[in-house]
Amino acid sequence: MLHAPFDPVTLAVPFFVLAIILEIALARLGWVKTHYETRDTLTSLAMGLGRGIPGVLLGGMIFAATVFVYQHRIFTVPFEAIWGWVAIFFLEDLTYYWFHRLSHERRFWWAAHVNHHTSQHYNLSTALRQTWTGGIAGTWSLWLPLAWLGFSPAQIAIQQGISLVYQFWIHTEAIGRMPTWFEAVMNTPSHHRVHHARNPRYLDSNYAGILIIWDKLFGTFQAELDEEPCRYGIVKNLGDFKLLRVAFHEWLGIFADLARSKSIHEVLGYVLGPPGWSPDGSRDTSASLKTKWRELHRPTE
Amino acid sequence: MIFSKAFLIQTAGSAVAVLILTGIAAWARLAKPMPILDEAAARQYFTQDFPASKIDQIWISDDGRGAVARSGDLALVLFVAGDGYIARHLTWDQAMAARPVNGQVVISFHDIAAPRGQLAFATWPLTPGI
Repeated sequence: MLHAPFDPVTLAVPFFVLAIILEIALARLGWVKTHYETRDTLTSLAMGLGRGIPGVLLGGMIFAATVFVYQHRIFTVPFEAIWGWVAIFFLEDLTYYWFHRLSHERRFWWAAHVNHHTSQHYNLSTALRQTWTGGIAGTWSLWLPLAWLGFSPAQIAIQQGISLVYQFWIHTEAIGRMPTWFEAVMNTPSHHRVHHARNPRYLDSNYAGILIIWDKLFGTFQAELDEEPCRYGIVKNLGDFKLLRVAFHEWLGIFADLARSKSIHEVLGYVLGPPGWSPDGSRDTSASLKTKWRELHRPTE
Repeated sequence: MIFSKAFLIQTAGSAVAVLILTGIAAWARLAKPMPILDEAAARQYFTQDFPASKIDQIWISDDGRGAVARSGDLALVLFVAGDGYIARHLTWDQAMAARPVNGQVVISFHDIAAPRGQLAFATWPLTPGI
């Protein structure tokens, strides 16, 4: 099967809307803690709405590439097989982990992903602050090996949709912590709050999609600490709520840096180095911020 | 045609939902409280964004919604966007070269992510020690 018979994300849109209304209502009643700022909310939702346009423009090309790889597959995974769905659940989630890690640790892909982190709020509307340039950044190619292994384009698309829908509900401060067993295995609001935090000790952690086990396996897990409340946003927050700035500011930053590059080393550093990389080290990366933080919080002897 | 009729209808419906949800969020008045800044609060914000900087002096803006700190040759600037603070730094001389207009100072940061910040200071440039 090439075309997915349904799109989990489209089916979930009414749930997204109702869940946001519920979160606002509960906060309004004072039953849960969350904040909504009008322009921030509009920006998040508009980014989610605008995401559909590049999706249509590039979707055909991405689909064609996936079909091409699928035609050269080494196995065939039956669409109806339960074991196939179990396998793609884990493999797609592992792929997502590496996609997400790449999207944070290398500037070219960070440029496409950063907009999702630009809100200083953490509520369900933040979940919909999606990228407009992910297709251009080419991270979709990370899923091609699944087609090569024999998962149909339809199955891959459905599992990607399931992952995206799962990740919606974890964008909230309204839920504290889930049961211990759940926190141990699954990505949760608590784990993902840490991922969205700009506190130095929380940077570049918890890349999980559905299962938090990948972060624990690859050493990027960071628990939410009661003594360190999350402060949301990016290291250098945006100065306003303009959509084009949210969507493209890091790309423009890359172009500006490339224009003044003096060597291939600088070009590579600005594009493929970690966000914040600079030839003279005058800017901060996540690593340098963490180092400074550790220096300041080193126990005194 | 690149965009099908179904896509356009779906997008239009989603746009209406976006406006309704934004309206509900505005009605609910759930923005973070933004108390007038005092020196301690401003220092805390500066410390969060510039943990390695030694702050020599802090000036709170006239409306209490922004601040400038001197750290050696640098000016650390705090200004409001929505219900959050944005922090940037530039050289002290660059910051002081901004011109006040009607009690408002617009500081340019040469940063695509935050090109400028606006602060209420009737007296500008700031004078260290005062």
